[in-house]
Amino acid sequence: MGKFGLRSVLLFAVVVHILVISVAADIKNLKIWPMPLSVSYGHRNLQLSNEFVLKTEGSKYPDASGILKEGFSRLLDIIKVAHVVDTNFSYDGPSPVLKGIQVVVLSPSDELQYGVDESYNLTIPEKGNPAFAYLTAKTVYGALHGFQTFSQACHFNLTTRSIEVHQVPWTIVDRPRFSYRGLLIDTSRHYLPLPVILKVIDSMAYAKLNVLHWHIVDTQSFPLEIPSFPKLWDGAYSSSERYTVADASEIVRYAGRRGINVLAELDVPGHAKSWGIGYPSLWPSKNCQEPLDVSSDFTFKLIDGILSDFSKIFKYKFVHLGGDEVDTSCWTLTPRISKWLKQHRLNGTSAYEYFVLRAQKIALSHGYEIINWEETFNNFGNKLSPKTIVHNWLGGGVAQQVTAAGLRCIVSNQDKWYLDHIDTTWQDFYSNEPLTNITKPEQQRLVIGGEVCMWGEHIDGSNIETTIWPRAAAAAERLWTAYDNIAKNPEQAVRRLAYFRCLLNQRGVASGPLTGGGRAAPDEPGSCYEQ
Amino acid sequence: MPSISTLNSSQFLLKTTFFFFFFFSISIFSLVNARSIKSTHHHSIELDESLTYLWPLPAQFTSGNDTLTVDPNLTLDLTGNSGSGGGSVVVEEAFERYKKIIFKHGSKLAKSGEYFDVNRVSVIVHSDNDELQLGVDESYSLLVTKSNERSIIGGVSIEANSVYGALRGLETLSQLCKFDYGVKTVQIHKAPWFIQDKPRFAYRGLLLDTSRHYLPIEIIKQIIESMSYAKLNVLHWHIIDEESFPLEVPSYPNLWKGAYIKSERYTVEDAIEIVDFAKMRGINVMAEVDVPGHAESWGAGYPDLWPSPSCKEPLDVSKNYTFDVIAGILADMRKIFPFELFHLGGDEVNTTCWTTTPHVKQWLQDHNMTAKDAYQYFVLKAQEIAISHNWTPVNWEETFNNFPSKLNPRTVVHNWLRGDVCAKAVASGFRCIWSNQGYWYLDHLDAPWEEVYYAEPLEGIKSISEQNLVLGGEVCMWGETADASNVQQTIWPRAAAAAERLWSDKETTSSRNTTSTALQRLEYFRCLLTRRGVPAAPVTNFYARRPPLGPGSCYEQ
Repeated sequence: MGKFGLRSVLLFAVVVHILVISVAADIKNLKIWPMPLSVSYGHRNLQLSNEFVLKTEGSKYPDASGILKEGFSRLLDIIKVAHVVDTNFSYDGPSPVLKGIQVVVLSPSDELQYGVDESYNLTIPEKGNPAFAYLTAKTVYGALHGFQTFSQACHFNLTTRSIEVHQVPWTIVDRPRFSYRGLLIDTSRHYLPLPVILKVIDSMAYAKLNVLHWHIVDTQSFPLEIPSFPKLWDGAYSSSERYTVADASEIVRYAGRRGINVLAELDVPGHAKSWGIGYPSLWPSKNCQEPLDVSSDFTFKLIDGILSDFSKIFKYKFVHLGGDEVDTSCWTLTPRISKWLKQHRLNGTSAYEYFVLRAQKIALSHGYEIINWEETFNNFGNKLSPKTIVHNWLGGGVAQQVTAAGLRCIVSNQDKWYLDHIDTTWQDFYSNEPLTNITKPEQQRLVIGGEVCMWGEHIDGSNIETTIWPRAAAAAERLWTAYDNIAKNPEQAVRRLAYFRCLLNQRGVASGPLTGGGRAAPDEPGSCYEQ
Repeated sequence: MPSISTLNSSQFLLKTTFFFFFFFSISIFSLVNARSIKSTHHHSIELDESLTYLWPLPAQFTSGNDTLTVDPNLTLDLTGNSGSGGGSVVVEEAFERYKKIIFKHGSKLAKSGEYFDVNRVSVIVHSDNDELQLGVDESYSLLVTKSNERSIIGGVSIEANSVYGALRGLETLSQLCKFDYGVKTVQIHKAPWFIQDKPRFAYRGLLLDTSRHYLPIEIIKQIIESMSYAKLNVLHWHIIDEESFPLEVPSYPNLWKGAYIKSERYTVEDAIEIVDFAKMRGINVMAEVDVPGHAESWGAGYPDLWPSPSCKEPLDVSKNYTFDVIAGILADMRKIFPFELFHLGGDEVNTTCWTTTPHVKQWLQDHNMTAKDAYQYFVLKAQEIAISHNWTPVNWEETFNNFPSKLNPRTVVHNWLRGDVCAKAVASGFRCIWSNQGYWYLDHLDAPWEEVYYAEPLEGIKSISEQNLVLGGEVCMWGETADASNVQQTIWPRAAAAAERLWSDKETTSSRNTTSTALQRLEYFRCLLTRRGVPAAPVTNFYARRPPLGPGSCYEQ
């Protein structure tokens, strides 16, 4: 190449520079959600080959588990889902054909843990002989995100009945802003059938969310099988509104192959009434059933058994121990427990602390780090294990205090990120900034991310998707996209989000319109892109 | 034990005939002598085991007290005459779909040597004709017995006259299979089952409207799949209306300009894909071109079709061009839609634009026509075009209400406005489809499940010969406020209430004191839908598609 090579590199650098700048002004024409870290694009189209292939030469990832291959096969499915593609179509027009995608993954490991490197670089050339897209990533999970981005650059051509990549050449450098980007589902208030959960996981991957926070058990029902204490399952609503260990493992496996971790929650002691259906001695008394009996060693033996069983299913390094909304009056009103409190010189509040800390120790003994809802921090923050992550929900400003205390934090302030608040608009979800008023970098680093919460009181298999989407996508961009690339006024993102919402619909996800709050019906006839 | 496949069908028929008599005596007994198993648990919801959780309820059935285990490696043994045609693929693919449904808790892998009561489904289909037309034989018999060495017909067998009957039998079988969370195995309770089933009506439809909101293909497929769970068999595709024209028409390519946006369009191949997908599930697709009153979007590509740019509807009756375009559309659609019925709309025709637009008004005068005459002229001319394509025209009831004696005698009248129209139409010798808007318009969110369930298409029709002219009924999912996000929870579970009305015996669905039984069974079916991933709304909410009122079991909401 010699001189010419040098010059073209120089030229390339200049061109890229110009394009990147032009993107900033021309962001409206992008249809990628969430917005990548840096994007440059052109104005030509490439024809996607009918035999579009995956090449992995140079990749250090052996893909023995098939995660990459499966991801590629899902990529082909979703880019072809909108219309029937003419497979006999042979293209001989002016624009070249994109023969495949070459994926180079640098790490041989596909262990999916907190903080796994999710970055990727994607280039799609303008031409080539043959032309290949080029995707590099540190891990296979970064590559999966690259596939999602690639899928959003693909469009169906109504004339040729084939798939085209628009706006080539693309150069995308991307990585998430936060390593924890969660969605909570609640299977205690309503049982969610397995296919419903798997479909939610699929849709999370489209928005690059990476943690499914599974609020499995609560006051109302106990749907999960616990082999160590099999009668807990009696707390299920019915004989069939249940998950076997194998079902739970399938959810974890299915999510993991999409780069999504499953955070299991055991919300103690305040949200656990259903435990007592199988083991009534866990209740303070028959007519005062919550919180779990703090005075009984059996309570903690049972928590130990559950967490031991959990550790065989849920491989994420965190477990969520709840700890919210603890009303201790059943402890102080039940004579047996009231006596025990006196013996141990405890009052309701200190017994609450005792319970939470003892549960934390059990979780630590099973190798878990702990997440607790913010009331634990608000009440006895200095007593919590330093491995605790505080999960904010009540209001704003908590992350600021938590990180000042040196603990890590997940942001889910209910006024903006509770999906069951159906009057909260997507603009509210979009604008909610996890680092509000947190200026010191060392404190900012302690905010590991955020989570939108789909509490299940009024949610079941019939309406969960339309209540989650598109608002969860608004939060997903807030959590993925570099701060400087986030629209300062949500209205600047409206067209792109509308496009993503319609893309979800095309893929069979029941995402609601942007107008109105959650799960609003469209007001009148019209295009998906305008509602 | 001898394999069923070695039997010829006449031997098999003999046996089933024997059992058929057996049913009649026992089925009544088992319905009357319902035993109720009391809940042994104070918290957990237990199903009333005296009820039969099949939806829609089969025509005849008996059950016993055995519990059979089902092998996750269940195999299909397909015999009869279907092998020579395309029909075997229909059954084989359906069998694979149902296996995924039945064994979705793929929890426990069968250990080698593990014993299961049921490891094979024998399907016998007597016809090699896989043509799916109105009135195709959907009857089937389903036997589920413990196989033993003495009984030659042990195990699970489905016998049907067409592959589509076999599909209905597989659906019923899938509803008998339940995952037991205790032993972690799929089981069939209350065996032996002897079921002899056939639909009450040949036409059991659901209307989808892709003009008010575009429905992506994936969503349409999800809906078609769910229709098969309730044994509905006609997708009435109201493709086009005033608001948008999403379908490609090669003869008049500019019609596609009436789509909302480029990506909210169906290609010819997309439409064929939908028809094929539906056929594999025993569902016909009836296309609609609603003329002349609901066609404003046509003019986006061909403005000449409007009476004038300021008065755009109905289509210009005065131009031959209008009928050329209709002929072109129908010629193109004929290549896509093989079903013998074709819907020409004809409802809500406001003729003001005809009488106020000078050139149309002039034409009316020249032809000595009133606006109403012109409406009739238009509808009849469109009918002729459809008939020339060997289609049977279906028209909304206004056409019958306005000029009954002029309609082509082959016309199927589609009721929607009032309850007594089918009675009048069949009295005049027409066939009829019942969709009374008070009950069977799914966009009416204030029609609760009981009203849908107890609506009776044969209301007021006494003579058998007239009853036979009612092809069936259809629930209509008009799309003004329904899009991909909420269409399914608006359809379900109410469409299922209509589906049982249309499939099951009138005696089963009409006895008012079965309210509680129908409700519990419908709640069960709604949960079955959600367990299959179909967003079906709570049954007992007064307004459709509303969220559950509070936490609770699916089986009680």
